[in-house]
Amino acid sequence: MTINSLHCICVYYQDWHRTRRPKPASEAGLLPAVSQAVSAAAAGDAAAAAHATASTFSSPRNTLQSTTGTVVAISNELPPPPPSTAGAGVGGLTSTGLAFDEEAKLVYGVVISLRNMVKKISGRDEQFTSYRTSAYRLHLFETLSGYKFVMLTDPRTENMRVQLRRIYEGPFLEFVVRNPLVKMDSREQGIDNENFRAALDRMVRGLPVYA
Amino acid sequence: MASNVKQYKAIGEELWKGRSEKINAELFALTYGALVVQLIQDYEDYDEVNKQLEKMGYNIGTRLIEDFLARSGMGRCSDFREVGEVIAKVGFKTFLNITPGVVHALPPSPTPNRQSNPTPSQPSFTLTLDENPLTEFVELPEDALEGGLWFSNVLCGVIRGALEMVQMQVQAEFVSDVLRGDESSEIRVKLVKYLEEEVPVGDD
Repeated sequence: MTINSLHCICVYYQDWHRTRRPKPASEAGLLPAVSQAVSAAAAGDAAAAAHATASTFSSPRNTLQSTTGTVVAISNELPPPPPSTAGAGVGGLTSTGLAFDEEAKLVYGVVISLRNMVKKISGRDEQFTSYRTSAYRLHLFETLSGYKFVMLTDPRTENMRVQLRRIYEGPFLEFVVRNPLVKMDSREQGIDNENFRAALDRMVRGLPVYA
Repeated sequence: MASNVKQYKAIGEELWKGRSEKINAELFALTYGALVVQLIQDYEDYDEVNKQLEKMGYNIGTRLIEDFLARSGMGRCSDFREVGEVIAKVGFKTFLNITPGVVHALPPSPTPNRQSNPTPSQPSFTLTLDENPLTEFVELPEDALEGGLWFSNVLCGVIRGALEMVQMQVQAEFVSDVLRGDESSEIRVKLVKYLEEEVPVGDD
């Protein structure tokens, strides 16, 4: 899942059952501290020292692949573009061919456009909550303060807004808002930190819909 | 409108009661007092101290709003009047257990381009603090009085920071302060403009 901030920048990413590895982002394409797994040069070299978070956290992003249908691909920023997802469902492990930051921008673009469209059609009170394709379902929870929590799941999952809201009220509030060391000014840095990642992980794994 | 007010009071009360982490009020007041004293010693200029307090409040406000939104689950306020009500009845109650009075001062005739018009026809409201937990044990010395220190200026910053995160740019400042010998402590919050949402920079 990804969390986007007020300034339209991806500040956090975590996944659980992704079928295809996201390609690492290009240099400077992504803020530091978004996610160990997809930052540039995350192939384990000294650049990782900049993050100072444990490198074991690249493991949630593991190779549990799904064969047809049990994908709970949770990505935040961008849903893998549908055509290639269909191909991956057959079991391939090829990467999408998009660098992560590109993916991130794509997802964000989709989300923003849909949201604006919904607002224009039906006025300020209605909110875009999720959409479903044959391969995945994207859930959006947006706060008044501009934070967008995006989650991609299996198409048969029911609406995750409640869970996303609980994530907001639980781990996010505890470990990001209340943590003075995490800069919430998203222009410079993402909000990856150990406690947050671990708490979020625990919470998601405890969800009934988690395969 | 009256039922809304009651609702807000009820929500505020509930949130205050439901908060698990409360701290000792005296500790809070003394800590804040020590902070202000330290700032005065460091800067030695009361205007600068005011600015710093406001800045600190701003940083607090940007995070506080998340806490507030998450716990109260309130939706968007329909107009600036409602913003004032919510801040006074729900916001202050939730965090400080006080309910300042609100007096609105809306422009006489709202016109369509009111928001982009920077003339004195900006909506504003004034919060009147009957009791201020920050100033429990405080008395200002002579030169602070002369220097123009607003002791609780951090509150202005909090309001500004919080509202900025929900796309409202406001100016919040103290109008009068009991510590300075005035009759009541009042904060005036004036709407400058509504902020537009940011659109990502296109990069092709």
